[in-house]
Amino acid sequence: MKTNPENSFSTTGKIGKSLLLLLPMTLLIFILSTGGKPNFSSQVSLIAFLITFFFFNVLFFMILYKGKVDKYRAVGFILLALFFALTFIVDLISMRGTMTFNNETALACEIPFCHIVTTMIILPVIISGSIIFPGSIIGGFASITSMLVIVIGVMIALGRGFCSWGCFYGGWDDGTSRILRKPVIKKVNPAFRWASFAVLIIVAIMSLLLVGPFYCDWLCPFKTVTEFEKVTSFTVLLKTISFISLFAALVIILPLLTKKRIQCTTFCPMGALCSLSNKINVFDVSIDKEKCNDCMLCTKVCPTMSLEKQDVEKGKPSITCMKCGKCIDSCKRGAINYHIKGTPVGKRLTLARMLFLYPAFTLLVVFTSGTMQQGIVLLVKLFTTGSLLK
Amino acid sequence: MGQGFILGLSTGAVCVAYCGPVLIPYLMSESGGLKKSYLLVAIFLTGRLTAYLLTAILAGIIGHAVVQQTESRTFIMGFAYMILSALLIAYGLYRFKEICLGKTVKKMPESQNSQKRLLIPFTGGFLTGINICPPFLLAIAGAIDSGTIAGSVLFFVAFFAGTSIFFLPMPVAGMFKRQHVLRIIGKFAALLAGFLYFYKGLILLIR
Repeated sequence: MKTNPENSFSTTGKIGKSLLLLLPMTLLIFILSTGGKPNFSSQVSLIAFLITFFFFNVLFFMILYKGKVDKYRAVGFILLALFFALTFIVDLISMRGTMTFNNETALACEIPFCHIVTTMIILPVIISGSIIFPGSIIGGFASITSMLVIVIGVMIALGRGFCSWGCFYGGWDDGTSRILRKPVIKKVNPAFRWASFAVLIIVAIMSLLLVGPFYCDWLCPFKTVTEFEKVTSFTVLLKTISFISLFAALVIILPLLTKKRIQCTTFCPMGALCSLSNKINVFDVSIDKEKCNDCMLCTKVCPTMSLEKQDVEKGKPSITCMKCGKCIDSCKRGAINYHIKGTPVGKRLTLARMLFLYPAFTLLVVFTSGTMQQGIVLLVKLFTTGSLLK
Repeated sequence: MGQGFILGLSTGAVCVAYCGPVLIPYLMSESGGLKKSYLLVAIFLTGRLTAYLLTAILAGIIGHAVVQQTESRTFIMGFAYMILSALLIAYGLYRFKEICLGKTVKKMPESQNSQKRLLIPFTGGFLTGINICPPFLLAIAGAIDSGTIAGSVLFFVAFFAGTSIFFLPMPVAGMFKRQHVLRIIGKFAALLAGFLYFYKGLILLIR
């Protein structure tokens, strides 16, 4: 079969350009996957590193070569959620012998601090100067300081991009929302994109009033796949029912039926906080009105309902946009792109795209590489010894 | 107090969104810039606070003299919380034609007397304050539950603080563009507050 030499040259050129753009990321992936000091204690850990290293290089290469963002981002993002849950649960059971915690664990300040807690400590810190969370301030397992530094840094750098590139829970409903090819519930009221702001308000104030992390205590669906309080009373039983039913409804069933990231869009207070950070962040997504033919395909695929007809008319999504890239991938006319605020829309598209993709993908590697390697080691252990525990 | 604040937050956004379109044009039509606008908002809020304080005293008297003396107090309050929170949940879920008593200020005759003119925002504030809506009814229940006049007043002061947050940006023009968003957030906040009170009522009934 003959190939058109022009096409062949063009494909080779595209591969070369993609490989060139991949090089800095390859270096970053190596550094982030090894912590800068390659030291493999066993053959299995070396294999885990090689798989992780190869996986991220292929992923970023495909983003560059195919020009699709969301399709490849989602693979890494969903794996992050799954490997995080696996390694976290195994770590907990290895350390405590159980997924549950009790008063002693809380009093010893051994509860890992996740980024969602940020929304609950703001008001108490401002008003009373105290941190209402039984975690370690510095050092130890998921300390408060390290998580706050990461979260604030990422919010400044990527805005709500954090919810699609770094959150270790987001991959759950991102994954379930992709299982069906077509949504069963075809239209979700776009007003729901503002619901997380109400959750943020209520959660922040209730945490101040109760002097405790209200969302973690009562509402967090991800307690189901991380850690939860030992059932010792009727109140704790109610909490456990709340966690499991919210997980089933918001993370599994509704995303499956609607093809929207329902938990992230409607119920995550951190999502609302990150949305506000979209205001100060330099990156956004813009729609070139000269290219747009108002097909509204982007409004149908947006997993967070951040693109409605009025937003397309305005030429940008609402502040709830997670910068996942799904609308960019879906636009057949190439009218939607990552954009640097203050620059003309539709100009220097590759530059804006690359300036966003490098830090965003780096964030994905930061959160996923270690977890993925640890997860692979655990899976190998499961197959060879029949046990996941360390 | 905290519960009063949460309730206030859940109703404040809706108050601004529904009563605002009637009251804001009046407040804005008064020339004198931002300073004057804030003065009018302050008078408007004083009207609301007056309404709340009167309601609080009444609720405190009922709570102290009647409900606290009843043996089945826990059952009454639990039942009241559950019914009113169910109303609040319905209020958060569905669109009702809002009845805003504050709208009556629109019909008031204009006066050249400056003192009388100041009565208009005060009356508007007072009337929006005693507007019967699920959050307000739940606030009355919460105030009665506190059992003392002082507790009831504190509850309503917190309720007032919660609602006032939404009125403070009124004179800043940019805020008006987002009224529909505020209304939606307020509705969702009402829904969540409804669930919290439903749980409180359930726990009281189980006990």
